[in-house]
Amino acid sequence: MIKRMRKGHLAGIAGLMLLMPVPAGAQDGATLLEENCSGCHMVDDNGALSRISGQRKTPEGWLMTIVRMRLFHGLEIEPAVQSELVHYLSDTQGLAPSETEGLRYALERDPDYQEQVEAPLGEMCARCHSGARFKLQRRTPEEWGLHIDFHLGQWPTLEYQALARDRQWLKLAREEVVPLLAERYPLESEAWSKWLAAQKPDATGRWVFATTLPEKGEAYGALEVTGDSQPYEVSGTLMTVDGEELTLSGKLNVYTGYEWRANLDIGGTKYRQILEISEDGSSLSGRQFLHAEDSLGGAFKAARADGDPAIVGVVPSTVPAGSNAKVQIVGTGLGEVALSGALEATGGEANSYGAAIDVDPAADADGLITIASGDATSEDTLAVYSHIDSLKVEPAFAVARVGGGGGSAGKVPAHFDAVGYWNGPDGKPGTEDDIRIGSVPATWSVAPFNEEAEELKDTQFAGTMDETLGIFMPAVAGPNPDRPFSTNNAGNLKVLATSGEATGEGQLIVTVQRWNDPPIR
Amino acid sequence: MRHLKPLNQKADRVVTAVETDKMDEVRAMQSVVVGCTATLDPGWEVDPFGGVAALCQPMEADLYGCSDPCWWPAQVPDTINSYPDWGADADNASKDWRSLGTVFPSDSET
Repeated sequence: MIKRMRKGHLAGIAGLMLLMPVPAGAQDGATLLEENCSGCHMVDDNGALSRISGQRKTPEGWLMTIVRMRLFHGLEIEPAVQSELVHYLSDTQGLAPSETEGLRYALERDPDYQEQVEAPLGEMCARCHSGARFKLQRRTPEEWGLHIDFHLGQWPTLEYQALARDRQWLKLAREEVVPLLAERYPLESEAWSKWLAAQKPDATGRWVFATTLPEKGEAYGALEVTGDSQPYEVSGTLMTVDGEELTLSGKLNVYTGYEWRANLDIGGTKYRQILEISEDGSSLSGRQFLHAEDSLGGAFKAARADGDPAIVGVVPSTVPAGSNAKVQIVGTGLGEVALSGALEATGGEANSYGAAIDVDPAADADGLITIASGDATSEDTLAVYSHIDSLKVEPAFAVARVGGGGGSAGKVPAHFDAVGYWNGPDGKPGTEDDIRIGSVPATWSVAPFNEEAEELKDTQFAGTMDETLGIFMPAVAGPNPDRPFSTNNAGNLKVLATSGEATGEGQLIVTVQRWNDPPIR
Repeated sequence: MRHLKPLNQKADRVVTAVETDKMDEVRAMQSVVVGCTATLDPGWEVDPFGGVAALCQPMEADLYGCSDPCWWPAQVPDTINSYPDWGADADNASKDWRSLGTVFPSDSET
């Protein structure tokens, strides 16, 4: 029977493929899909595979689906074939760039983002996993219905999580939630049809970028993407704010024409990039983080080197008054630099990362500076400061996790930034007119958050704060016989930053590890 | 509450919070960073007071009480259906927790 199905399916898929633009390699992908999936997934009259044809997802979404087929249903698949299928499905049944807008934090593994998921989806879906996990999917109404049935069958105690003791949750799920999901996240959309037909941006070529490394701080550089097929080769150079030059090399996959996923070696350390290429192909944006510790990373912005004049960043972005600094304006098509605002100056010269200018602000200089170079302008992107009125710890709330100690889950550290502010016209700190200076050097420490934390000596057991970097490294996993009831090395801590006279405070929860940590949480 | 007495420290804290009208200060679970569970109180990561002192500790003592009934399936592999053999080599989680694996395969990346 399966053989019969496959024959019919091949002809059907071929017919279906004629209806849509076929990306390179798609025909191979269709064959792979048929070979690996049609043993279980039925073929309909149009040759489409049951379940699969009614869904669109991100590359990570498709990867999680295939992995689930392996783990739960015994699918055996070669890693290379799995990778091909993720490419194929993301290219032919992915999400348009606009459909991932506002949800990229989940793909980027942003460790600090706090979701507010609206009712009724918050209680129904986002009590166990992120809201982005379902908002980054598109399905037919039938598929959303089956999705709920699948959840109930696979995780039957979700009845409790879905508040079944207080309401008729399944009725709500079927009669309210499914129609809502189908309306908000439908399989067919104008955005996707347009994107499928659109000319996709080119990833290859030279890009100039600005980013932040967890330990080395602000950085910039250039990377070159080459190759005729995926994964592309990436090579380049990264310069730290302190002038250290690091070599960069690695591999890049591009999915759905814009989803940039790269693994890079930068100066001997492995990093991962989750970026999007802008629809017009002129820029990259997203997050770069340590491959081994994805909670440590920073925003990454780049511009195509042969594109229109653009400024993507300034390194350093804050300069203490009364000091000399060489400021690198990172961008493309730049030339002589004009500064206006708290510093008025003209000069500098173009270099291979944009343009650089020497500044020596007076000892009492305070304010933001607008930069113009070539035909590009960037408003208020540089700050000089002689004093700081108040300090904020960012993020104000973070979670770290114990790990290691011979267990399978690694430690999840937390990184904090001290952001300086001026009071603004009202002369008061903490009000809306405060002016953000930017990230400033600070001295870091932790303290018990409350009485319980003090009693349980959380500061002694939960881990260590690096007093210069603002990186908290949690302690080892496992029961700790030195604590009451052998409590884990969990803790509830105040995070304290001091810069000159100014102090800032945040909260850090040091908690237990997770054993289930898929690409979209 | 006149006829009920808290039996342990955690229950005592809950009663105190109610009596001192501090329940409003309980962190809305949805405001924990993304990826942390908001399922029930306490969550997997954070207790209803926004801390960790009222979590089940050490969590290894009750870990199979989480994985067997699929209590926090997005954080802890459930052994009902999805990962039936997850705890197979670790009869005593407090001692054998190092044998428990993370379940998303490390060979799979986009």
